Amino acid sequence: MKSRRQEILEYLLQKMEELTQDWDYADPVRPESLLFTELGFESLDAVVLCTAIQEHYLTPMPFAELLSDIGREQRDLSIDELADFVDRHLGAPAKAMAATRRAQ
Amino acid sequence: MSVKTLLIGLDGATFSVLDPLMEQGAMPFLKSFFAQGTRAGLRTIVPPLTPPAWTSLMTGRRPGQHGVFDFFRMDSPESRHIRFFNSNDVQCDTTWSLASAGGLRTTTLNFPAMFPPPRISGYVVPGWVPWKQLRLACWPEGLFEKLKAIPGFNQRELAMDIKLEEKATEGISDHAAELGPWIDLHARREQNLTHVLKHLTEEDPSDLTSVLFDGVDKLQHLCWRYLRPEDDKPLTEDWEFQLRELSLRYFRCLDVLLKQLCDMAGPQADVIIASDHGFGPTYDVLHINTWLERHGYLAWSEAAQSRDTQGALLGVGQVAKHTWLMDWNKTKAFATTPTSNGIYIVVSDGTTPGVPASEYQAFRQRLVDDLRQIKDLQTGQQMVTEIYTREEAFPGPHSSVAPDLTLILRDGGLVSILPSPDEVSKRPVVSGSHRPVGVFGARGPGIKRGFAAGELSILDVAPTVLYSLGLPVPAELEGRVPEEIYLDGVVKEKPVRRAAAAAGSQAMEQAAVSTEVEDEETVLERLRELGYIE
Repeated sequence: MKSRRQEILEYLLQKMEELTQDWDYADPVRPESLLFTELGFESLDAVVLCTAIQEHYLTPMPFAELLSDIGREQRDLSIDELADFVDRHLGAPAKAMAATRRAQ
Repeated sequence: MSVKTLLIGLDGATFSVLDPLMEQGAMPFLKSFFAQGTRAGLRTIVPPLTPPAWTSLMTGRRPGQHGVFDFFRMDSPESRHIRFFNSNDVQCDTTWSLASAGGLRTTTLNFPAMFPPPRISGYVVPGWVPWKQLRLACWPEGLFEKLKAIPGFNQRELAMDIKLEEKATEGISDHAAELGPWIDLHARREQNLTHVLKHLTEEDPSDLTSVLFDGVDKLQHLCWRYLRPEDDKPLTEDWEFQLRELSLRYFRCLDVLLKQLCDMAGPQADVIIASDHGFGPTYDVLHINTWLERHGYLAWSEAAQSRDTQGALLGVGQVAKHTWLMDWNKTKAFATTPTSNGIYIVVSDGTTPGVPASEYQAFRQRLVDDLRQIKDLQTGQQMVTEIYTREEAFPGPHSSVAPDLTLILRDGGLVSILPSPDEVSKRPVVSGSHRPVGVFGARGPGIKRGFAAGELSILDVAPTVLYSLGLPVPAELEGRVPEEIYLDGVVKEKPVRRAAAAAGSQAMEQAAVSTEVEDEETVLERLRELGYIE
């Protein structure tokens, strides 16, 4: 049985694979891939991805703090680190969001 | 099915630009549109800013009621962390959700506060989503693949490129070299949006079809000098005249697209054109955090004084730079974003630094009095002409995360939040900035021809769209259906129906769906917080 951390990482890698196929990004997406310097993210790309992750897990996570820390420390973020962050902030076992979200 | 109502958003459109263009023959279709329909000024909300203003247009509610105040939002009233706005911040029904609940289909392209996409009946391509993430943002599932299959579809030029967006707010230093391709890109972007909308409508039309063209706002920010040279010194250089021609070409292109969309909707559809705010020239920059620092309200951190604050790595720090630029042991008031002209006051909870709650009112009044003293050093004119308190600007259940003060500058300009040698400075060339009155136009079988309706409210647009669709107007909407724009007998034959308050249907549905993953007590607590149960 896969650990929750492994499921999260696989989910993130799958999402990034889907996204990068729209960018003509040739290299494979790996756990070590860096969002900004390798995958070419801008700040808003990170914000949108984080929002999508929260929607998927139906759990608010302190992504604003994470992005603030990254800015202050002037560092990058790997997919592996992002998986750690999500795993750390999922209080209960991960449950993917059902497709029946509200009809806004 | 055919299109009943076509809503065309022109971000930031203003008659001070459109009227001369129509008179000069650059926008013949728009001129005929107004001649065959009704026009009015459209007064927006405070602040006159894209996210809260479009949300007010979509909901018929003010920001204190709908919950969107800026591009960014405090995580909580106590937090200093901000995050980018999204659709979950919209705490009331939208025109799209009401249409969907009324059994109608809607297609909406490029409107803000639509990501994550609402699960409406129809299609959603949200605005303010970077092009690399567009796949994540479309609704329903499979729509993105459908878009990719459209011949000529260009993802990069349909969605947002944040580097280009930053140019609209931070400026382009070399107009001669950079501005021309940037203008042309926006023309192509509007063409892409139109192409996608026409394709979706031909294949699967929606009752309510909506698109937002936001190049109007972008061009007016950076190209005001070329669109309205009379507001600054005359154009003299060849490249300046070329940029004016390119700017006019954008609007000529837009005019063609407006015609294509109206032709697509057909003569039996109501077509509504609206902007979220107006536009005008701006010459000043108020470096608000520098002013606050020099008047004892704010203290910069050591990091702010030792680092290059203009270029944080990778742009990530731009989102939340204030959290490390300021010394939070000494800061009592600060601005977080350069977009809303909002000032937040740090209130102490008794254990944290800041203004004691008991002194909040007196502190805020002293700050207001001091802000009113900011003067133009050359003319002595007052720089801050209006100051709204949170209660004045944002009454409603969501005001706790709104700025404590919102400033209106004398030329409608925006503040800078970064450290600066000056408290007030002049822009090197005139720019465009937001104004409170935008544009409204409507054309349709029951709408008066060649009628000038004076000034309407942006809050009137949602009721007007619902009326056009034959839907009731919920009682909680703060605007009205402007009955004066309709031909005699139309409203008598088809009266405006008011519906009872919707009892927070959107939030209730949101809470109900969440029961799949939250325990009952959590949901009850959320409903208590929302005020639905005691």
